[in-house]
Amino acid sequence: MTALPQLLVSTVLLGGIYALIAVGLTLIFGIMRVVNFAHGEFLMLGMYLAFWSFTLWGLDPYFLLVIAVPLFFAIGLGVYALVMRGVIHASHNVQIFTTVGLSTALQNVALVFWTGDFRFVRPWESSIVIRIFGAAFNLSQVIAFAVALLFTLALFAFMKWTHAGRVMRATAQDGEAATLMGIDTDRVYRLAFAIGIACVGVAGVLISPLYSVYPTAGLQFVLLAYVVVVLGGLGDMVGALLGSLIVAAVEVIGSYVFGSAWKEVIYFVLFIAVLVFRPAGLLGQRGAEALGV
Amino acid sequence: MLELDAVTKRFGGLTAVGEVSFRATPGEILGIIGPNGAGKTTLFNVISGFYPPDDGRVLLDGRDVSKLPAHQICALGLCRTFQLVKPFGNLSVEDNVMIGALTRLPSVAAAREEARRVIALCRLEALAGTAARSLPIGLRKRLEVARALATKPRLLLLDEVMAGLNATELREMITLIRTLHAEGLGLIIIEHIMAAMMRLAHRIVVLHHGEKIAEGPPESIARDPRVVDAYLGEEFVLAGP
Amino acid sequence: MRRHALAAFVFGASAAAPLAIRDGFFLDSLILILMWGAVSGAWNVAGGYAGQVSLGHSAFFGIGAYSAALMATRWNASPWLGMLVGAVVATGAGLIIGYLSNRLKGPYFALATIAFSQVLLIVASRWRGFTAGSEGVPVPFRPGFWTLGFASKVSWVYLILCLALAVYLVQVYLERSRIGYRLAGVREDEDAAEALGIPSRRLKVMAVAASAALTSVCGSLWAQYVGFVDPFYVFSVDLSIRFSLNAIIGGVGTAMGPFIGSILITSLETFLRASFSDVRGGLVGIYLIIYGCLLIVVVRFIPQGLVGWFGQRFRAMRLHARA
Repeated sequence: MTALPQLLVSTVLLGGIYALIAVGLTLIFGIMRVVNFAHGEFLMLGMYLAFWSFTLWGLDPYFLLVIAVPLFFAIGLGVYALVMRGVIHASHNVQIFTTVGLSTALQNVALVFWTGDFRFVRPWESSIVIRIFGAAFNLSQVIAFAVALLFTLALFAFMKWTHAGRVMRATAQDGEAATLMGIDTDRVYRLAFAIGIACVGVAGVLISPLYSVYPTAGLQFVLLAYVVVVLGGLGDMVGALLGSLIVAAVEVIGSYVFGSAWKEVIYFVLFIAVLVFRPAGLLGQRGAEALGV
Repeated sequence: MLELDAVTKRFGGLTAVGEVSFRATPGEILGIIGPNGAGKTTLFNVISGFYPPDDGRVLLDGRDVSKLPAHQICALGLCRTFQLVKPFGNLSVEDNVMIGALTRLPSVAAAREEARRVIALCRLEALAGTAARSLPIGLRKRLEVARALATKPRLLLLDEVMAGLNATELREMITLIRTLHAEGLGLIIIEHIMAAMMRLAHRIVVLHHGEKIAEGPPESIARDPRVVDAYLGEEFVLAGP
Repeated sequence: MRRHALAAFVFGASAAAPLAIRDGFFLDSLILILMWGAVSGAWNVAGGYAGQVSLGHSAFFGIGAYSAALMATRWNASPWLGMLVGAVVATGAGLIIGYLSNRLKGPYFALATIAFSQVLLIVASRWRGFTAGSEGVPVPFRPGFWTLGFASKVSWVYLILCLALAVYLVQVYLERSRIGYRLAGVREDEDAAEALGIPSRRLKVMAVAASAALTSVCGSLWAQYVGFVDPFYVFSVDLSIRFSLNAIIGGVGTAMGPFIGSILITSLETFLRASFSDVRGGLVGIYLIIYGCLLIVVVRFIPQGLVGWFGQRFRAMRLHARA
């Protein structure tokens, strides 16, 4: 099986990126219990940020990270205040259509300002190919993976060892009890959302050399991210990591066996299958039943 | 009419209901009491078809209904109310009750008439056009009972319909239950309010940790040391008559 | 009959308009308004009356569009037959989605419906042998009633008006009938409905399947009218959102809501398209930005939609007048 090393490497590299997206999403979802249909749009915005910085100023996407993190964090705070805050305790309809409206608006802001043309970011790193044990990949993939891993670990550390992280975990377990304990849940939600958006924005910057950039680029990633999050269990960050690897594996192997044209079908079908057969996630924890599945 | 034969329901490692058996006959009001977490509502959920039992059987008029879904059990004549009331909030009181009536009646017109009759019985006429979500808890409980009544059950399961009622509402609910009993409706009642239970029930089943620890007329239950033991440390509300 | 005053006005005006106005652009807009209103009404059956909010209804629309187009081009069959076939296939798909609605709630159901429609999009755009792949299927124009080939837009106005009326009546039926009330119970509180003897799972599946069939019929007619089926359009998420948008704005769960919403939204879109048609194509996306913001605002502050909101104010006024 000469393809095995390649498949393995591809899976790991891809999994790392999905992990960054999923970990931010599971944070938001696990704590706020809101399905954010616009999550993919922030990824798209990250990609465009990288594209324009690269095109206009020749800035390497990786240097951009220094600005991207605080920028998307701030965007997250803003979006929370303007849109998400009113949605948290509202009905399903309000949640769905508010975030769908946000998604539509953001996609079309991108369309109006930057047109629907497919864009490409090609920093020098993406043309360096590394070959190890019969597996080939480019430097951009490795950097994306490394940075994603770094961020994910940092997030883990934050959640586990800081006071704020503990407070967030408590709120995720039981929002009402948290309020009764004197926790300002509004601040927790705001922080969670901002961190989640920062993660996905950074992910967008990181993957810009790897995928084409266009206004609806977020759609496939958002569905994927939800597959990962449900698979791993809501709010479960380790589950998100595991889920990312599994989904990456399915995609890489599926692509290899069926061809990349059909890989999207594979993960859409996987999504429906997970929701129907394993809504509680792999680890069988507080999974999607929290949403009344 | 209703017979439970060693009914058991487990959730993972927890046995919520363990080998509970008893009979409910028409013409009597059966009470079910027990400290919090004893498994009373779970028992109702199993009887009414929301959960299938893991072991044992539920027999309605001799027919095994253990595996039937809730809506079919209602069609067979057993209806239940919910401890945390579930009104159809955006619909009017009359529409709420009418939806219950539609279970037996084929036309909206007939159902509406029946709904009006039941609403009058439950003294909710003044609120017939009000949206259910604007009702306070006491009236919501009465609506819950009215709606269940509209399905023309032979056996009605009431889950803590008196919790949260003030003294007047309590009296009215007790009167309503007595009226229903007088009309021949079988009743099984879960209650925490002992004074009401003692006055209404002909026979009481006591659950503790999912198991039946006592059964008998109210007087003997009140004196049963096992029952007193189970409630030790539990505060129960003694609402006035 | 006061209840139907709004419908009488809107449909009556639509019927009368072609007699007075013959402008092609105007008639085209009228047809589209009625068409999108009808699809949104079909969506409303599942989303409004059964409470199952789907964001993947374009799946059914596309099935209808493709059925009509393919039956006409490949087998020279009448598009009416294609419409029937499409409705059958869509009902099958609706049963699958209906099954999903019993396993998934709220936003997760919505996500799953999106995934479903995207699967169909990919299949349609890659299966060159059957669907001509990403190139799409042009619908042949053959004059005549049975081939749905009307040269005159006026004929289309009346045809689509019939469709709109049919969808309106289906919704009205759901508001007044026994099954409709029971469905309302399921929508409000499924457990409570179940306890009252309502077979909630079965009803939900039926509602979704009916909604699917209706949507498919609309898709078939649309394909005949527009003359071309592009998989990236008919199966798009944008289109699904569009269906729900009209209903949300106009009043989800009301029979006229989808049509009122369509009047507003489609007119806005037509106007903006016309205004910006000479500018860069991307600027047309402005109307979608407006929709997005409108959706956010309406669903928060006017959840009952325009029809519901005006209905309440109207009743309040009458109450005051009486007092």
